[in-house]
Amino acid sequence: MPRKISWFTGGILMALLILFTFSVWGANRPIGASTYVPYFAGVIFGLDPQHYEYMAQIEKPGAWEGVMLIGAFLGGLFMSLFVTKTFRFSVIPHLWKERKNHSVASRLFWSFVSGFVMIVGARLAGGCTSGHFLSGASQIAVSGLIFGGIVMATVIVTGRLFYKKK
Amino acid sequence: MIDRIMHMFEIVNTEGHGSVWLVLFIGFVFGAIIQWARVDKFEKIAGFAMLEDMTVPKMLFFSIGLASIGLYFMIEAGWAHYHVKPIMLGGIVIGGILFGIAMAIFGKCPGTGPISVAEGRIDVLVGAIGGIFGGLFFTWAYPWFKQIMGPNLGKLTLPGLFEGHAHLVVLIYGIALVVVAFAIPNLEYLDPEDHEDKAEL
Repeated sequence: MPRKISWFTGGILMALLILFTFSVWGANRPIGASTYVPYFAGVIFGLDPQHYEYMAQIEKPGAWEGVMLIGAFLGGLFMSLFVTKTFRFSVIPHLWKERKNHSVASRLFWSFVSGFVMIVGARLAGGCTSGHFLSGASQIAVSGLIFGGIVMATVIVTGRLFYKKK
Repeated sequence: MIDRIMHMFEIVNTEGHGSVWLVLFIGFVFGAIIQWARVDKFEKIAGFAMLEDMTVPKMLFFSIGLASIGLYFMIEAGWAHYHVKPIMLGGIVIGGILFGIAMAIFGKCPGTGPISVAEGRIDVLVGAIGGIFGGLFFTWAYPWFKQIMGPNLGKLTLPGLFEGHAHLVVLIYGIALVVVAFAIPNLEYLDPEDHEDKAEL
């Protein structure tokens, strides 16, 4: 088995998975990922859906995505251990060292803050890269196209401002 | 907490969107594809922000282009249904900007994060904990956030806007995305720590 697949092979496999998930033989539903995070927050901190409007709203999609993400974690673990053989503990990505800094504290600080902001942003928008891009843009949903355009542009502008020029 | 987790599996079992095993299987394949294509790495998403690596936009455009044409045929045949998200304009614009900034700095999205944690990335685990607190904050502040998420412009699709020409719109859209995927320069940041080789097409 090859240790890495190209964007081309990856794109075909991902398209097949999107179609299978949408189909009546699959889950009859789109792929989504960001709803599991507030759902897990509710599970960990014991938030009662009867007291929190948002918890009640996401109970079903949150549970579905929660189970899916457990599968995704296991899929990633299996591949990194046995196929790509990339499993190892690390803190600072190489490109971060090259274009930002070598400080563990800095990387962990920015990881925490951006993780926090990312979920607030995804829940405000009602979806993330999976829900709005993969599933939304595949249905040619206008909501997904607007989100996709804004995110792509913001990512590149942030990249310009946040990282050093090479 | 244990009974909440058991409850999660129960909901999936009774919801009618596939059994727990099927949903776990979909997730497993999702994680496996992303890990195998290595797009869970910081160097792929943040690398795109720095215009050092184009794997993510190429794969994203390609898979969406293929899936859009396939999905349209499946819906016509009755094998799938639309599940379109509404255009909550305020939420999508403000949320999209926050999401884009965070994605460039974190180098992950909510889908690739856990897969990255699964290959031993401690920084991503810390980011995931940040995400849990973000989810907690959003849940708590939802009554307030709700006011800035509108107006709801409805569940529109592009083919739906061109009554009678839906086939053509889907075909042009799908082919255009595939062409764009090939047209984006094949830039790949090779991580010396992983001793990566450039993947063949």
